[in-house]
Amino acid sequence: MTKKENLERLFAGMEITSKLFRPILMHFAARFNNHSYAEFASDHRVLVDCNIKAMDYFGMDMVGLISDPYRETSAFGADISFPEEAVPICASQIIRTFDDVKSLKNPDVYKNLRTRDRIDGAALYQKLLKGNVPVIGWIEGPLAEACDLTGVSQMLMQLMLDPDFSNILLDKVVVTAKEFARAQIEEGCDIIGIGDAICSQIDPDTYDLYIKKRHRELIDYIHEQGARVKLHICGNITHLLPSIRELGMDILDLDWQVDMDHAYEVVGPEVVRCGNIDPVLIQNRSEEQVRELTAKLIRKESGRRHILSAGCEITVNTPVENLLAMRIESNN
Amino acid sequence: MDDILNKIAYCVEFGKINLQSPYPPDMKGLPGADELTQEALDKGIDADDILQKALVVGMEKVGIKFRENKIFVPQVLMSAKAMNMAIRHLKPYFLSGNIKRKGTVVIGTVAGDLHDIGKNLVAMMFEGNGWEVIDLGTDVSAQKFVEELKNHPGSHVGLSALLTTTMVNMEQIVREVKNVAPDSRVLIGGAPVNEEFKTKIGADFYSPDPQGAVEFLNSVASR
Repeated sequence: MTKKENLERLFAGMEITSKLFRPILMHFAARFNNHSYAEFASDHRVLVDCNIKAMDYFGMDMVGLISDPYRETSAFGADISFPEEAVPICASQIIRTFDDVKSLKNPDVYKNLRTRDRIDGAALYQKLLKGNVPVIGWIEGPLAEACDLTGVSQMLMQLMLDPDFSNILLDKVVVTAKEFARAQIEEGCDIIGIGDAICSQIDPDTYDLYIKKRHRELIDYIHEQGARVKLHICGNITHLLPSIRELGMDILDLDWQVDMDHAYEVVGPEVVRCGNIDPVLIQNRSEEQVRELTAKLIRKESGRRHILSAGCEITVNTPVENLLAMRIESNN
Repeated sequence: MDDILNKIAYCVEFGKINLQSPYPPDMKGLPGADELTQEALDKGIDADDILQKALVVGMEKVGIKFRENKIFVPQVLMSAKAMNMAIRHLKPYFLSGNIKRKGTVVIGTVAGDLHDIGKNLVAMMFEGNGWEVIDLGTDVSAQKFVEELKNHPGSHVGLSALLTTTMVNMEQIVREVKNVAPDSRVLIGGAPVNEEFKTKIGADFYSPDPQGAVEFLNSVASR
């Protein structure tokens, strides 16, 4: 049975041959393969190679295209720089005024180097993996992208102060998010991850007013294009779960602050939940302790649709044996 | 007097900046912290009373509600903006010494880390609680913290980090700060840090929320 078939069985609620395992890998995957983060984020060949090697070594069940938040931001016109060993930097926000919002043009995701690079990564995965391994494409969620373009504090205040500013900008970023998702699906991505990290920091009313319908729109669109959806929001989203359960995503990626039992109760048994060991513990605890944490989580998730993962990205300084301990324990 | 101070506190608590501000919707068309603070000063209300009985009271409620997940970052930002508008009217009184600060906090996101939202929230809470804040911004080296401590003797230090790769830089900063200013309290915060890490690096206090940091330094100041 291929990894893709195994994942489809999980979605269908059927028995699977082994526990599925796939944490978010970025800087760790680069370092593990002796590449800089700059190379990983700027060259899809490096990103794909690092992900495949990490998948093989750690026995993971999927590969991904996530690298940093600034693919679409670059396409919209922001200057992005690539420090050797740090997250790419967006030097300044391109949205400062309402006029900037109104004049913002949706980019051609095939022409911008950074979005094109990810699309090419999707194609390269298909060539190398021959469609046997689920590939997770990635788009920035609407609020995260609006914050990338405007600045976090500024955008969060605009949500309170200026509905026109907020709605027009969010609508524009959704258009690009759809186009970017479609381009990755056309190149073979089975799943599109939506990363909307900042949503954990807003209240349920604001989420419902501005973001929920746009998440739903994106998820419906991705489904229409034939792919599944994984929603990832960093941090504690317990307060948003009642809204999120109505979105229709296939996988909900939960950070370590969220109680998995509670999330199961709220979102229901149909949604595959992914998570959620604290990545700092995976980095700092002993191999034995990581195995214990893994075993405890697997016991808790027994009989439920669950993918073993950290709550968020595996940190770059995580000992290789600790990440391997998660796989070994899950095989037990 | 209490009435207008209560109104200012209410504006800070609910983020009503000024008359023009459409937020919060149920206070549309009403004066905000900006106009009410000026009005209070015009009526001869002591500037220190405005700080202590209005701004500190309002921001304390904000801090507690934020800690209890009753409000979230956008609401805190609006409250901070309202508080800043009020503080602008009080600046001359700070400069003249009519209002005494509780002390000074030198705050920054540590070297290698460009995230500023958490640091900004803590800085706003400190300022709203009567502390002078020297905000060094993001990507701040140990050397820069030490320089500022020399410029502001007796200050305390707040360190923020969002990344596991940058939290480790806190240790060097704590060490160098303690070398030049052993009595300075060093507070740390940020998603990846915790009590255990605080102890490991020799910092004085960890708080998962801004209000905890404010309460700690307030307790230090009152000793």
